Amino acid sequence: MTAAVAGIAGYFVLGILGFLVPWARALSAGALLVGTVAYALWFPGFPTGYLGLGDWAIPWRGDILAASFWGLSLFLHLILLVHQEGGRPQHYYALVTLLFGTVLSTVLSQDIFNLYVSLELTSLIAFLLVGIEGKPAQVWASLKYLILTSCGMIFYLLGVGFVYAETETLSLVRLSSSAPAMAPGLRLGIALLLTGAAAKGGVFFYALWLPVAHGYAPAPVSALLSSLVVKMGIVALARISAAFGIGEVLVALGLVTGFLGILHMFWEKKLKVFLAYSTMSQLGYVLLGFGLGAWEGAVAYAVAHGLFKALLFLAAGEAEREAKSHLIPRHVGRISGETRALLGLGALAIMGVPPLAGYAAKGLITAVAPPWVKGVLIALSLGTAASFARLLVLPLGEGPKFEIRHPALWVLVAAVAGTGIWGLVSFPGIALPRALLTALLVSAAGITMGWPFSRLSARLPRWHLEEALLALLFASLALLLFQFLSG
Amino acid sequence: MTASLSAATLGIVLVALGFGALLLRRSLIWKLLGLNVASGGAILFLVALSHRPGARPPLMGYPEGVPSADPLPQALVLTAIVIHFATLALSLAYAISLTERLHTQETGRLEEAAEEEMER
Amino acid sequence: MRIAAVVGVLALLVGILLVGAFGLFPLGDSPDWEKLARAYGAENGVAAVVLGTRLYDTLLEVMVFALAMVGVRYTLTPLSRWKEPVVPERGVVREMADLLLPVVIVFSLYLAASGHLGPGGGFPAGAIAGSGLLLLAMAKGIERLSRELHEGTLELLEYGAIGGLLVLGVASGLFGVRGSGLLVLFNLLIGIEVTVGTWVVLHYFGSHRGEI
Repeated sequence: MTAAVAGIAGYFVLGILGFLVPWARALSAGALLVGTVAYALWFPGFPTGYLGLGDWAIPWRGDILAASFWGLSLFLHLILLVHQEGGRPQHYYALVTLLFGTVLSTVLSQDIFNLYVSLELTSLIAFLLVGIEGKPAQVWASLKYLILTSCGMIFYLLGVGFVYAETETLSLVRLSSSAPAMAPGLRLGIALLLTGAAAKGGVFFYALWLPVAHGYAPAPVSALLSSLVVKMGIVALARISAAFGIGEVLVALGLVTGFLGILHMFWEKKLKVFLAYSTMSQLGYVLLGFGLGAWEGAVAYAVAHGLFKALLFLAAGEAEREAKSHLIPRHVGRISGETRALLGLGALAIMGVPPLAGYAAKGLITAVAPPWVKGVLIALSLGTAASFARLLVLPLGEGPKFEIRHPALWVLVAAVAGTGIWGLVSFPGIALPRALLTALLVSAAGITMGWPFSRLSARLPRWHLEEALLALLFASLALLLFQFLSG
Repeated sequence: MTASLSAATLGIVLVALGFGALLLRRSLIWKLLGLNVASGGAILFLVALSHRPGARPPLMGYPEGVPSADPLPQALVLTAIVIHFATLALSLAYAISLTERLHTQETGRLEEAAEEEMER
Repeated sequence: MRIAAVVGVLALLVGILLVGAFGLFPLGDSPDWEKLARAYGAENGVAAVVLGTRLYDTLLEVMVFALAMVGVRYTLTPLSRWKEPVVPERGVVREMADLLLPVVIVFSLYLAASGHLGPGGGFPAGAIAGSGLLLLAMAKGIERLSRELHEGTLELLEYGAIGGLLVLGVASGLFGVRGSGLLVLFNLLIGIEVTVGTWVVLHYFGSHRGEI
């Protein structure tokens, strides 16, 4: 645990220094080095530790979830440092370093109030990163993000009060080992905590800031937000529900966010907003995995999604720069061969086409799912493939010829393929010919079904600030009522 | 009704009032004020959990046997207040920036302007 | 229609939360915190929690505060500044500022230095010192005051304070360094951080006040 603390402290100190000196990028690389060494030292053995003395100390616990997220964030840090795309202000690198440091600390934390502070810090850095270019649309997206997540965190704070008053502890380790009696106050407290975490974690109806915040932010920032920052809310959801043993709530949230995200994707014309809705729907798989107790599958899906969504967003950034437009129809024929290939590979990975990372992670969740959930998962895969038919217009279209200019993104592609193949080799249960064939057939059927819709551009109702907030309130009320009446 | 129960009730009502302002007012500044009132309500609720009837503050040097208030909720509140202050400052800075460039504080029009900018 | 939906959902929320909250009271006895406070060399239970057991929360929170100020700085810097300097107040405010400022500064230092013993601590101390700066700004004019306080020095102080907190925090967390002196040091550093942060808010909001 000492090594983890030292690594995180290194990230924070080097990040803060980055505001003062002109070589923030080099400092960021130094932080990456420190973090990697710390990872290598703490990873074996999954240590548990307490920060502080007494009953109120903050418990930290290394587990498969924490270890996977450390790996993912260190790798993405490397990619973002190597991927050059125009000049960024100096404080961009400092903020990114601090963001990675906070992520590293959030995934280890087992304390509801420490999770609150960590989530606030991650999203505060995220607000600054979304608005970093200072365009009015981005500043507005950031402000919307701020207002909606602050409302969620007000619920979370009330929930901390309820849980503490009922159980006199904030530590999830203690709560799960002592299994307190589920008094009405405690059940309400849990529902409030879940509401707050869901508002941070990009769950549909709770987090309708996500389409604009991820869609309008600069591309590398969107990649970071989608692959790491929203996952912190999901991690909090998983930790809380695991401590109290209430997986069914996560299953319900996962179903809602999975299907509604796909519904919005069918009509979205802006490339990055389209990808943002896809993030909301993909989080459904992760929540289903955590809710069903498929802890490894859910973690694997979170990591796989982190890799291919980062790839998609970074490629989308290149596409938008090449076509000088945010709209998918205007990209056709204007983007380079490399970008088209990257977008296509990302889309294949997200649909779950076999050797890539998406397939292995989906297989791990499907392996433990009860029969009705298997049907739901196939429906989700069909929907994903159908909605991504819209994006496949780009790779299949005409355009300037192929030429490798962004090696960092190809490293990401290699990681997507490599983790997928590693998954297939180490879990032979998911590599059966029948399963592989099903996955291919589902993707092909989805694309064929989605193809007629791919030129559609109706206008779905937009989630403006008031509607989004009202949705958050109604959804939290539903969760509160469910928890209150279920005792 | 004890002091702490009425404070907790007031806290919850304040949260609802703040959300009401956030939903019904159209101007950005009013919305941010509503958000601040709501977070004040959450803080009041937490502080109310620290109080015990006839309690002393959580300081040493009082005679033995007097019940003490619970220091943990007070400590949590200290942290939460600073976080709310920080986010309020940032959101007001964003509000200034948006007002200066789009010349409106009405959120509906801000939303439209943002969407127009991204429709290119 | 919209108003009905809003009032309805909020009334239901308040109702269900109140039913839950009524079930929480009366609360049990406070946990025993005095042993904990002694272990950290504090006489104030809240200080023992904030600067002792849950020091890590406090560190993260100080970073939230500092980053919000960074955000204010970078958001408002590109905007146009108010052209005419404020006319400094004459008379009462000026006289009183001279009179009150030393008291404000001493009081803030007292709160920072005695925060582990009684009511007080770094945050109130910083907020009070910041309001002292507000008083000074009203007396002198914000432009003149911001010329006299060097931006670079302030930034150095701000980031230096966080760096110091982080280093001391690691020392305390990993090597078990504890004691009253450390708590005073924490409070002073937090006080510096909050004072500078308050000044940033004051200065940037003041010099970018504008008209629509």
